[in-house]
Amino acid sequence: MRDGFEIVGIRRTEQYPASGSQSRRQGKPLVSALLLCFIAAGCLACKWMTAKDPSYLNLQYHSMPPNREFIFGTDTMGRDIFSMIWYGGRISLFIGLVSTLLTTFLAVIVGAISGCASGKVDAVIMRGVDILLSVPELLLVLLLQAVFGRPNVFSITLVIGITGWMRMSRVIRTEVRQIRNSEYVTAARCMGGGFFHVLWHHLVPNFISSVMFMVVMSIRSAIVAESTLSFMGIGLPVEVISWGSMLSLAEQALSGRAWWMILIPGLFLVVTLVCLTNLGNHLQRHVNRRHSNL
Amino acid sequence: MKINRYMKIIGRKILLLAGSVFILSLLVFYISRLSPGDPLVSYYGDRAEKMSPQEQEWARDRLGLNDPIHVQYIRWLQNAFRGDFGISYKYKMDVTAVIGGRILNTLLLGGIGFLLIFVLALLLGILCAWHEDKILDRVICKIGTVTSCIPEFWLSLVLILIFAVSLRWFPSSGAYAVGKENNPADRVRHLVLPLTVVVMSHLWYYAYMIRNKLLVEVRADYVLLARMKGLRKSQVMFRHCLPNILPGYFSIMAVSVPHVLGGTYIVETVFSYPGIGTLTYESARYQDYNLLMLLSLITGITVIVCNMLAQAVSERIDPRIRVDDEGAYGEVEEL
Amino acid sequence: MSELLEVRNLSVSFDTPAGEIQAVRDVSFCVRAGEVLAVVGETGCGKSVLCKSILRLLPEIARIKKGQILLNGVDITGYREQDMCRLRGRFFAMVFQNPMTVLNPSMSVWAQIAEAVKVYGRNMSREEVEQRVIQLLDLVGLEDLKKRRQQYPYHLSGGMQQRCVMAIALAAEPKLLFADEPTTALDVTIQAQILDLIKEVQARLHTATVFVTHDLSVAAKAADRVAVMYAGKIVEIGTTEEIFQDSRHPYTWGLMRALPAFARGRDSLYSIPGMPPALIDPPKGDAFACRNEYALAIDYEKQPPMFQVTDTHFAATWLLDERAEGLGIRAPVFRMEEEDCQEEQKSPEAAAKVLLDVQHLTHVFPISSGKTLTAVDDVSFQIRRGEIFGLIGESGSGKSTVARCIMNVYRPAGGHILYQGIDICDSREFRAHKKMLQSTRQMIFQDCDGSLNRRMKVCDIIAEPMRLQHVKPPRGTYRAEAAFQMQHVGLAAAYLDQYPCALSGGQRQRVAIARALSMEPALLVADEPIASLDVSMQAQIVNLFRHLQKEQGFSFLFIAHDLAMVEFLCDRVGVMYQGRLVETGSVKEIFHHPVHPYTQKLVASMPLPACCTGWDERRQNR
Repeated sequence: MRDGFEIVGIRRTEQYPASGSQSRRQGKPLVSALLLCFIAAGCLACKWMTAKDPSYLNLQYHSMPPNREFIFGTDTMGRDIFSMIWYGGRISLFIGLVSTLLTTFLAVIVGAISGCASGKVDAVIMRGVDILLSVPELLLVLLLQAVFGRPNVFSITLVIGITGWMRMSRVIRTEVRQIRNSEYVTAARCMGGGFFHVLWHHLVPNFISSVMFMVVMSIRSAIVAESTLSFMGIGLPVEVISWGSMLSLAEQALSGRAWWMILIPGLFLVVTLVCLTNLGNHLQRHVNRRHSNL
Repeated sequence: MKINRYMKIIGRKILLLAGSVFILSLLVFYISRLSPGDPLVSYYGDRAEKMSPQEQEWARDRLGLNDPIHVQYIRWLQNAFRGDFGISYKYKMDVTAVIGGRILNTLLLGGIGFLLIFVLALLLGILCAWHEDKILDRVICKIGTVTSCIPEFWLSLVLILIFAVSLRWFPSSGAYAVGKENNPADRVRHLVLPLTVVVMSHLWYYAYMIRNKLLVEVRADYVLLARMKGLRKSQVMFRHCLPNILPGYFSIMAVSVPHVLGGTYIVETVFSYPGIGTLTYESARYQDYNLLMLLSLITGITVIVCNMLAQAVSERIDPRIRVDDEGAYGEVEEL
Repeated sequence: MSELLEVRNLSVSFDTPAGEIQAVRDVSFCVRAGEVLAVVGETGCGKSVLCKSILRLLPEIARIKKGQILLNGVDITGYREQDMCRLRGRFFAMVFQNPMTVLNPSMSVWAQIAEAVKVYGRNMSREEVEQRVIQLLDLVGLEDLKKRRQQYPYHLSGGMQQRCVMAIALAAEPKLLFADEPTTALDVTIQAQILDLIKEVQARLHTATVFVTHDLSVAAKAADRVAVMYAGKIVEIGTTEEIFQDSRHPYTWGLMRALPAFARGRDSLYSIPGMPPALIDPPKGDAFACRNEYALAIDYEKQPPMFQVTDTHFAATWLLDERAEGLGIRAPVFRMEEEDCQEEQKSPEAAAKVLLDVQHLTHVFPISSGKTLTAVDDVSFQIRRGEIFGLIGESGSGKSTVARCIMNVYRPAGGHILYQGIDICDSREFRAHKKMLQSTRQMIFQDCDGSLNRRMKVCDIIAEPMRLQHVKPPRGTYRAEAAFQMQHVGLAAAYLDQYPCALSGGQRQRVAIARALSMEPALLVADEPIASLDVSMQAQIVNLFRHLQKEQGFSFLFIAHDLAMVEFLCDRVGVMYQGRLVETGSVKEIFHHPVHPYTQKLVASMPLPACCTGWDERRQNR
């Protein structure tokens, strides 16, 4: 031994990929997810959440502030707000989910067609989408509502679904374009991959993440749309309980200074929306994580 | 030469505008007439239900509602060219007069709201981008996300509850108190709450967009070169990064004019603010055909003109736009 | 000579969520007025970070951990941002690697240069500024721009953009210029021009220059002194003469041997084995030990100190310790092989059957508003069985389009492509032979990042063509087959279940190669397969190509802009220029007796032989 001064040459130290080295900077939105789960579960299990019938008009106890009997008080028609929250939430979430399904379906179809089509067809479709996008949503909804006539849960779902797909279809179209021009799709085509192979193995897995974000956001805007419409009296009628229709009594509530009728359903609504937004933001890919040059 | 070319472009745009308006009017006309509901109700109110079938028939005839739709449309078109858009069934006045009395209120609310959003979003976006990921930025982002989630109508309700009902600082409805139509101070007092709602509900969407766009710019390599020249960080931000995002911002803001206007519709309804929004809502609900037609046309024209403006603006300012055609309608980033 | 810049024991770290990246570790050097110091090393060894940390242009997560930076003897390490602003541009300036992104795209070039001038001279009048800008444009050889002030960066070619960046950097006549790979992103012929420009400006203004490059031959051409960096440390520093004639560090030897010029007539390019270490957790001893065939046992234990060889020459290797003297390790002898040893040549193969026959191929792209761009214009060439055909040309010359037409990705506007006598441009014939065509022709792309689906595992990626063509895997399962192919291209089976993002660039390209070769193709088309890789990775991949081609005997269309690699790998070469094939011939013909003026220019701009000859010239000049 000469103090380590002999040639040993290359010692193989295999370098394995450091897995999961890019840890997400923002933590997972646990609080949001839990809250959302809680609200959703409560709405699903509304029968067990409360013993009271939300649609029972107990005129004797109308406009009661929160007390031991009615935790959240009663509204001007004497209905128990606590049970209305859960029953109404069920309808609101249902409308949000189902109309999002419709929205996603339409958006994927239009976006995919536009993304796969030639330049001219694509331009025409996108121009059309642009025009639809720039019409105030309310006007569109008003016109559609007029066509569908007396609103019920399904017509509202339909109207919201039909009016909300444009933005998502634009995103999908861009995404499809990008993936379509990517080299792995070219490679797959060279190898003889047919349309369905490319669609299933390459397109879908790659655009699912950005679509997921849009889907979550679309649930959010559908819930907002439903409550706004119901509030304005062109959505669900007062008898059909939803978070929106509960708030349509607000005018009377204001004159009676019944803050609980406005604040409580609204808070549930807003908390749900914030949770959805946080979830959506988490789903969105963080593409650019370079550091600022400034 | 040059003027000639511009004339040509402008001519083409006007043709496009006219075509779009024509199609729009056709669509609105047909859709509104397809919908169930009786325009007589809006004309005669409750009396319509008490009328005998003959009387009803006679009334319809008088309003021209019995002709086939295309005949009605052509008649409407002919009259419209003469500047006669018909009368409102509900108000029993010329629709132009009905709208004329209210459009100013909406313009006031929407215009001021729009300007405030425009400026505040810019400031807030720059502030956040400058302090990227520091505490200030994080706090603003959190608050912004929450405010952007609050539906406009509920925000209005809460504000009314607090500031009008409880504190009695501001009035809860209307555009002016009775007898004070021309008192500016009173108008402002009436505007405060609706304006707050309009601004708060849209602000973060645009501020966040500016922030994100700036963050992308700040990561561009040209920042390094600019700093290498010896420019200070603030100079780089305001001379290089900001000018690069402005064309995109201008065009997006132009596209969003109708969006903001649509927002004021809801706010107007909650605050019973006498503007176009409440009018549109009423006319659609009560089958006030002529009124609905004109309102839709006004909205449509605003939309189309704003779109054209957006395109023109970005073409004028940003030299890159001629190279990549994606920029004109750059993706509005979602929250 | 006074010391303009002195760096003492500088360490720079990045604080990332994954850990502390020690990008620069304990670096000391100095730059004297008017001299050119080249900093050489592989990508990721900290060259750029070193320069940017001196100018303080690093993002906020980077911090100077220890050490000092002295300018003219003044310590600037503690300077605040506003003090640095005063120094930047005036005292030192920097030219960046990528001129396309470094110029502000929405500001006219004139305005950008004028802005730099104004920062320097706040009180200058309009005319003075204008005068100065014109002066600068003259200096960097952009006379055309004087009249056209509304030129935006996208109007200019890459070379002109780099000249603009030079003008901006020189606006305030800095005493010290950092040039961070200023030629890497440019086409070969432009590279030589920019290099000449920097040398010329340096000679005229006597600006001290720190020239960062990964290319030893460029360093040899331009520098007075050379510093070799590895894993964040300077491992050897000395005058150019000392480094090239008497290098002492095994890493420097490795870099020199990897120069393709030394590979002429050899079987394989030399490449330093393995990859540079990750700097998050640098190895305990000498970071280079695990790639060093002369590594001593102590290298794995203790970091070597800087040993002094001469007054100007230092190297950090234990080989210079007196205790290691008895080992008798010397630098390997570098000499160019004689040209003639390759003479045996492939006369029998010349008669081999033609596999691919491209006849008068033309392809046209529509660009906006009815205009078209002819990307490929009447290109004809043939590839015989078992032949490696190289296609060279600068970016935008239509090479990739040819490849894509051959692979039926684009439908050519005119001409025929016969593959084994089948006209693949004819859709009926294509359909009749679709299965055969799809399995016997395979393609490898430039951007291995984009050509692998990020959401597929490596084993699925490699097995994809087999699955598609319903090939029964000879080794039982697709997974086993994928493992076999990976071993074939030199990848550990441990990567089977990884996603591409966990792999390095070289490894990803190996996956792409494995995917292509799993079908045992008769024709392999590789579109710039090495362009996005590091130099040492390039050599490894090219060796792999050569080895695999010998073994499997497929015909190979190799598209590249790197002449040295083409010269090493290919049998015959075609040169493309502006969509036309201007010259074809054997490698020897093209590289020794180019006929077309463009080819001549191209061959003349090859930086490689210049490494040695350029060095000789310099010595003669002194």
